[in-house]
Amino acid sequence: MPAALAPRLRGLVPIGLVVLLGLALTFVLGERYHHRILTLVFVWATMGLAWNIISGYAGQTSFGHQAFFGVGAYVTVLLIVGLRLTPWLGLVAGAAAAVVAAVLIGFPTFRLAGIYFALATLAYPLILRIVMEFLGYQEVPIPMVRDRPALYMQFADPRAYDLLALAALGGTLVLSHWIETSRLGYALRALKENEAAAEATGVDTLRAKMLAYMLSAAPAAVIGVIYAHAILFVVTPDSVFGVLVIVQTLVVCLVGGVGTKWGPVLGAAIMVPMSETLDATIGDRLPGIQGVVYGGALVLVMLFAPEGIYWRLRALLPSRRAAPARAGATAATQGPIAADLAGRAPVARGATLMDVRGVSRAFLGLHALEDVSFTVRAGEILGVIGPNGAGKTTLFNVLNGFLAPDAGEVRYRDAPITGLRPSAICRGGVGRTFQVVRAFPQMTVLENVMVGAFVREAAPDRARQRALGALAAVGLEARADLVPSGLTTLDLRLMELARGLATAPDLILLDEPLAGLSRDGVETMMALVRRVRDGGVSVVIIEHTMYAVVQLVDRLVVLDHGRRVAEGAPGEVVRDPAVIEAYLGKRWLRHAENLRR
Amino acid sequence: MSPGDLVQYVVTGLLVGGVYALMSIGLALIFGVMKVVNFAQGDFMMLGMYVTYFLAVGYGVDPLLGALFTIPPFFLLGLVVHRTLLVRVTGGGDPQRLMDAQLILTLGLSLIITNATTMILTPMPRGIKTAYATQAFAVGPVLLNQARSYAFLMALLLAGVVYVFLTRTDLGKALRAAADEPEAAGYQGIDVRAMHGLAFGVGIALVAAAGGLLATYHPIEPTVAVNFIVLMFVAVVLGGLGSIPGAFAGGLLIGLVQSLTLLVLPFQLQNVGVFIAFLLVLYLRPQGLFGQRARAV
Amino acid sequence: MKAAGTSRGRGVRALAIATAVLVAAPALLAPAVARAEDLKIALVAPLSGRWARQGQLKKMGAEMAIAEIEAQGGIKALGGGKIILREADAGDSVEKAVSAIQRALSREKISAGIGAWLSSFTLGVTEVSERLQVPWFTLSYADNITERGFKYTFQSSPVSSVQAEQALDLVLDLARRNGQTIKKAAIVGDNTAATVFFFKPLREKLLKAKGIELVVDEIWTPPLADATAIVQKLRSTQPDIMFYGATNFPDSIQVLQKIKEFGVKTPIQGVGAWLVTPEYVKTVGKELLDNIMTVTASHPLKGQEDLVKRFTQRTGEPFMTQDPLMTYAHVWIIKEAAELAKSTDPKAIRDAVAKLDLKSGPAAGALAPGRIRYDERGRRIGATPIIVQWQNGEPFTVVPAELATRKPVWRGGK
Repeated sequence: MPAALAPRLRGLVPIGLVVLLGLALTFVLGERYHHRILTLVFVWATMGLAWNIISGYAGQTSFGHQAFFGVGAYVTVLLIVGLRLTPWLGLVAGAAAAVVAAVLIGFPTFRLAGIYFALATLAYPLILRIVMEFLGYQEVPIPMVRDRPALYMQFADPRAYDLLALAALGGTLVLSHWIETSRLGYALRALKENEAAAEATGVDTLRAKMLAYMLSAAPAAVIGVIYAHAILFVVTPDSVFGVLVIVQTLVVCLVGGVGTKWGPVLGAAIMVPMSETLDATIGDRLPGIQGVVYGGALVLVMLFAPEGIYWRLRALLPSRRAAPARAGATAATQGPIAADLAGRAPVARGATLMDVRGVSRAFLGLHALEDVSFTVRAGEILGVIGPNGAGKTTLFNVLNGFLAPDAGEVRYRDAPITGLRPSAICRGGVGRTFQVVRAFPQMTVLENVMVGAFVREAAPDRARQRALGALAAVGLEARADLVPSGLTTLDLRLMELARGLATAPDLILLDEPLAGLSRDGVETMMALVRRVRDGGVSVVIIEHTMYAVVQLVDRLVVLDHGRRVAEGAPGEVVRDPAVIEAYLGKRWLRHAENLRR
Repeated sequence: MSPGDLVQYVVTGLLVGGVYALMSIGLALIFGVMKVVNFAQGDFMMLGMYVTYFLAVGYGVDPLLGALFTIPPFFLLGLVVHRTLLVRVTGGGDPQRLMDAQLILTLGLSLIITNATTMILTPMPRGIKTAYATQAFAVGPVLLNQARSYAFLMALLLAGVVYVFLTRTDLGKALRAAADEPEAAGYQGIDVRAMHGLAFGVGIALVAAAGGLLATYHPIEPTVAVNFIVLMFVAVVLGGLGSIPGAFAGGLLIGLVQSLTLLVLPFQLQNVGVFIAFLLVLYLRPQGLFGQRARAV
Repeated sequence: MKAAGTSRGRGVRALAIATAVLVAAPALLAPAVARAEDLKIALVAPLSGRWARQGQLKKMGAEMAIAEIEAQGGIKALGGGKIILREADAGDSVEKAVSAIQRALSREKISAGIGAWLSSFTLGVTEVSERLQVPWFTLSYADNITERGFKYTFQSSPVSSVQAEQALDLVLDLARRNGQTIKKAAIVGDNTAATVFFFKPLREKLLKAKGIELVVDEIWTPPLADATAIVQKLRSTQPDIMFYGATNFPDSIQVLQKIKEFGVKTPIQGVGAWLVTPEYVKTVGKELLDNIMTVTASHPLKGQEDLVKRFTQRTGEPFMTQDPLMTYAHVWIIKEAAELAKSTDPKAIRDAVAKLDLKSGPAAGALAPGRIRYDERGRRIGATPIIVQWQNGEPFTVVPAELATRKPVWRGGK
């Protein structure tokens, strides 16, 4: 495996360089105050990195991350005061408490998104701050232990604190790097860019967010402990739970750049020394001016680099070599795309794969689906047709778990799947695409498909191989390194299909895959769908383009006003007088005229 | 506790909430139209307090009137701040990135305003001595502090004017269109950028006026905003982000919760009551009490 | 060209002389420097942010003492050396305060320091002065500042626990002499450290020991939204005395306004110097303040009238309060220690401070009971709190009687 691990290990080299630079500064600097600034840079960079895990990678902006910083500091210091427990152990206790706090805060709060999540998290440190004051912990000085200072994290040499904070920074950088390059990292990026699509692609978004929250709470708590010992010497609710803590964290992250491990490091390396230099030069002579200048610097940075300095610099650099054109652009366009059972038992062709029994779903009293029943057989292409508002997409949303039915049941492989999370249904073998393609816009085509491949693979390299296989199957290998914004509608639909196939499904739900395609595109897509079916993956397809559907599907289900009005072979259904009169008639006729023109 | 006491708690809460309400509608307007979380809102309030103070001390203008006088200059100030700074970080682009940039920009603005004020006007707290700050209207056994009552009525009046402006005038309707459907509004020939400027100007003017009313009984210092900014955000969220009547009700609700919390929690935990109410509303009804969106997710 | 040549020759000669002087200078000047060595002291205080006003007041006191010392010939043992003040802005957080002392002490040789006003700041700041072995003076009251076994920290104020006990005695005595017994007391205040440490002994033992019933005990977390609930309780229970600690200015104003609005007449006994600042008169007027008393660590005493006059003329402040007075005294204490140590070495000064016993002079005259000496923990021996009372819009020392500038006025609640 060394070859496979190499790219991930290569990413550790810059981290090593940063740590070496930190070490060099630790031993070069002489003045104590300069050491303090260095420690502060490490502290705020670490806190920024912790925040960046949940708010940058996972995109869940937290205004309350100082809750964990403060929990770490208070737990550790109170354990020293009360039990004389060494902070080296207290730090573990503090981090554990912070992780527990993250779970307790996360469970109710992850139901919210965007600014609502951010504002809800704000309340927790504010509550903790008031409670700490209520409990009488206004000022908790860290007791000075003269006989065993090192055991109590009390050092006369300021370099010791530098090293301590640098160790935390190095550790958090490695953690960040691991997340960036791991399955979790891909999951977080995906859910940040499109939560529903991530969930439908097998990412358990709640679990991923929770994991990210826990992973970001622990370093925040650890650095809170170090901050208390190296910087404060006395813990007060304001100094660890206060708004200034989150403000400083936001400053280093947003000035440096969000969503990359280098942002907080860069932000801290610029803003902390700037703030201290301002304090030390003009601030002591003309108090207040340092705040004015620092505020002005923030305004200027945001005017000229609103995305943060790291991203701004990257945009300025000549774009690193254009994405290499990949070989194998001429993918196999013939032959079945072999299904991957991924360890599931095979289902005999023609046997019932999915059984939809009496499903109903209403919105505000309006029946979107009413007592809909039908079966999906293994190895078939089943078409779902109906006019706008017939409930087709609602049906898909019930089948893949986005919506829970009000009544009825969906069984898949003879087990109920109603009530399961979409990601669980996807992992069970049901993939889907969307009417309007839901790509992860900041990820390359390959990475988009890798998100799906991670359903079956834990290691990024294996996921990459699987994703490349899926791309090759749909003939999109050549576009692997592009971002979706550069793709045609057909390529986007192919990418979404590949993403679905990469999850190794038994059954794939295609929501209007032909919409917006040219005649050639329709042919390509139809051929693909057949090859998917021929390989053993069942397909349920929603379509408007009637002539295509009739050619493509093995059977048809017709929905109208949320009710199933017909089910059967396309020839029969199309001739069903009820269908023609009630629904198909007008459209079919109009369509027929169109064809003649 | 006698029923009279309970009435006193409710009345006190509403009076306290009145000024929170007026403080918050400016913030709600800015958020509603521009989607900007303005960290510097409290600092504009502080400046409004100082302007009212100097009008009172220098020219003998009653602060209730002085609060109204702050509106035109602060409206202009808001326009200028929007045109020179905020316009660069609003409209177009990834909303998450924009929000980040707006946060830091308004934070920088807040630092500049607070520190410059401290340097120029000194940190010395000041106050406007008004007779009504220490007098009360007695309604049976219940006492209504006069300063707070006047401030409450003025807040109601100003909020009403804003509401009528937004719902009854063409400009107001254009503003709402720019808020709800910026693209569609653009197609209809509404200058969305100008609407943002208008919203920011009005939002700043309102919070400055709220500061003026607050100054009738509250001391003035450069850092006075820290006591209020969090509550302003809470009020805006309680009412439903961006809803003007919602923010007004949210402000009143905070006052009520602060007052009634004392019946069940120790005084020290008063604001814990407020934050718990805030979380409950977010969890159970994330669109806020007056929000119209079906779901926040 | 000739002229130029001459001028060049002159230039060369001048350069040679200058070089000789420069080379010789250290040798020539060294004794002179030793004879008039300046003493650098640091003042770490919030000079920006929420508490900037207090920092500025402290700075005024320090500057005045320095000017006076210079005017009377500097530090004689150092050959008339001056005291040089280095301020460092503690801002509004513990982080900034500790950074401030760290840079003040590492930039240059500082012989002693003063600060940092807020007790949490002081706790952090003295960790640094202790490690760098620089004597540090504080006016903070918190007991725990001098409970850590530090050798370089000197606390000139009576600590909170002592203040509470003595303040209670003084108030009871005052009431008794005015023919009133105190039976019911109220505690009203915020939960900042300074107030909490003061109230704790009152609530837990002192009041009980004197047979006083605690009828109102209302503590809030700043900022206070509204004082109605508190004052309602005062009105309905009618305590004989209210112990009052509202360090956040707007909170305090709200409580006082509400007390007036509700017509509550309970005598107010404040805890801390925050209650006697000039901004109170300007904001609420003297009618509201008159007769309110407060316990402080220092306030101008009998015999300091000249000092107060010099201060008000110098600064434009209407009167002098604890913050400038304490730093004024601290600078003088450092000066006296330097005289004793005959050195600017911080360790020598620390040892001198430990041996100091001042019975007269500006420092001793500023702090009741007029004597400066510190015990092994660094607490000033015999430090007594004093009671200050607002009278006609100005605060005067009223207790202890022998140092008072006015007689106390007792106006019972009923």
